[in-house]
Amino acid sequence: MDLFVAAFGFGLVSMSVIAIAAVGFTMQFGITNMINLAYGEVMISAAYVAYYVNKAGISIWLGMVVGALFGSVFSFLLNRFVYAPFMRKGTANLGMVIVSLAVSLMMANLLLPIVGYYSVSYQEDAGSLIRLGSIVLTRDQLIIIGVAVVLMLGIHALLTYTRLGKAMRATAANPTLARNCGIPTQRVIDSVWLITGAMCGLAGVVAALNSDSFAIANGAAFLITILAAAVLGGAGQPYGAMIGAVLIGLITELSAAAWSPQYKEVVAFAILVLVMVLRPQGLLAKRGALAAAG
Amino acid sequence: MTLISLDSQQQVDGRPAASLRAEHITSGYGGVPVIRDVSISVGPSEIVAIIGPNGAGKSTLLKSLVGILRVTGGRILLGADDVTNHPPEELARRGVGYVPQVNDIFEPLTVLENLEMGGYLLTGAQVRTRVAEVGDVFPQLPPMLKRRADKLSGGERKMLAIARVLMLDPKVLILDEPTANLSPKLADSLLTEHVKRLAGVGKAVLLVEQRARAALKIADWTSVLVSGATRLEGRPDELLKRQDFEELFLGAGTTLPAVDEEDDDKR
Repeated sequence: MDLFVAAFGFGLVSMSVIAIAAVGFTMQFGITNMINLAYGEVMISAAYVAYYVNKAGISIWLGMVVGALFGSVFSFLLNRFVYAPFMRKGTANLGMVIVSLAVSLMMANLLLPIVGYYSVSYQEDAGSLIRLGSIVLTRDQLIIIGVAVVLMLGIHALLTYTRLGKAMRATAANPTLARNCGIPTQRVIDSVWLITGAMCGLAGVVAALNSDSFAIANGAAFLITILAAAVLGGAGQPYGAMIGAVLIGLITELSAAAWSPQYKEVVAFAILVLVMVLRPQGLLAKRGALAAAG
Repeated sequence: MTLISLDSQQQVDGRPAASLRAEHITSGYGGVPVIRDVSISVGPSEIVAIIGPNGAGKSTLLKSLVGILRVTGGRILLGADDVTNHPPEELARRGVGYVPQVNDIFEPLTVLENLEMGGYLLTGAQVRTRVAEVGDVFPQLPPMLKRRADKLSGGERKMLAIARVLMLDPKVLILDEPTANLSPKLADSLLTEHVKRLAGVGKAVLLVEQRARAALKIADWTSVLVSGATRLEGRPDELLKRQDFEELFLGAGTTLPAVDEEDDDKR
């Protein structure tokens, strides 16, 4: 029993990592209509950026900020110079998915000669263990959970209370009407890429921090888990992705305790397939895309 | 067949100087023109109705005027400025308000959020003032500000769509079939009460209407669009006097259900 309680603790950390990543991913789709399969590679690139910062003797927390900045700027440029030109030419959605897949492959292969095959890890003392009953977490894991909670509240506040956030939802719901209202949708979409790119970069660093070591191949594995959470929650819906992250995080960690940690991605992929078969629209239907909570 | 030459762009017949004017515009989808060489104008306090059979290109014309569709020939003037193919957000900023026939609101947003998006270009304080003002014009709206827009009835929805466009207090108001899907009673009150009042406070109103007779009743000027070209234009009373008025529609090989009074009684 204690094993499962402990797994629940790890689940809390996992869901935090997945939530940061999946909410960014799903917002890119929900608002800009782009299924960005290069998301996992941007995450792993940010993890490496933070690795080099950390290797230079700088705190990983500062490295995390640099990783987030990298993700933000890189995603913005990726959209501006690769995705947006294809979209302007009227490339269909499926075509855009292939473009992002191509970007993902190119990134992985460009990264390889730079960072190598081998697994690396941050130089970071995870801090003292903190016990809450049978749940044992490191200080770093608690910080990750804290970062995720603050970020989710921040995204909720952004979408619900700010002019920019409402314009994002308006652009998602009806881009033509948004322009007729005088909303500069291009600038709104730029800010979506900046914000979600930062989440992507941050997610890459916390995911790397939460595992003993990481390697270039992790990018693809990240993507499966993120896709599972985003699709489970209803593609394009930030609140859905949060729910999806909670479920995927818990289920994968519980399955790791009951079965084997090696199969976490398999379990995530199985959930993804099951959702596609049983409820392809996800837990929150598309109808409420980027709707206000409740 | 044409009653008045399309080239007579001087504002004859005591029409006001144009706020928005399209000159000989050609436009369509994917390189195929839907409207050809169409000219139309609307001035302050004036209601101009565009009527015509289904598929005549009425909505295409409006979409071209507000910058959604690319114009491939002719030009569009806002006052004295050439705004041909300027982006929709710029036209919104410069006082052109547009209510599309469908997808006229942000469905997942609340009523208040829809109004806030309508007033996106205003400051927070201005938005609050305008929300109160459009609430006075459409008293149905204030009690439902927190409601999600996709939960509204057809009539409430159209009120919200018009209230949304009024947030910026536009000089020119372009309405695409505002009475579609409304009951005859609601349609009548929308046209005779709201649209007429908007022209009364100085707005230039350009309106596409399926309910041709209802539109002719409130319009100061009417343009009949058939198969992508202006077939006829003039004052409504003059048009109605013409014996071949309905024949002109039928001559185009299309029926004109909206001219039948029967259609207006249908629910």
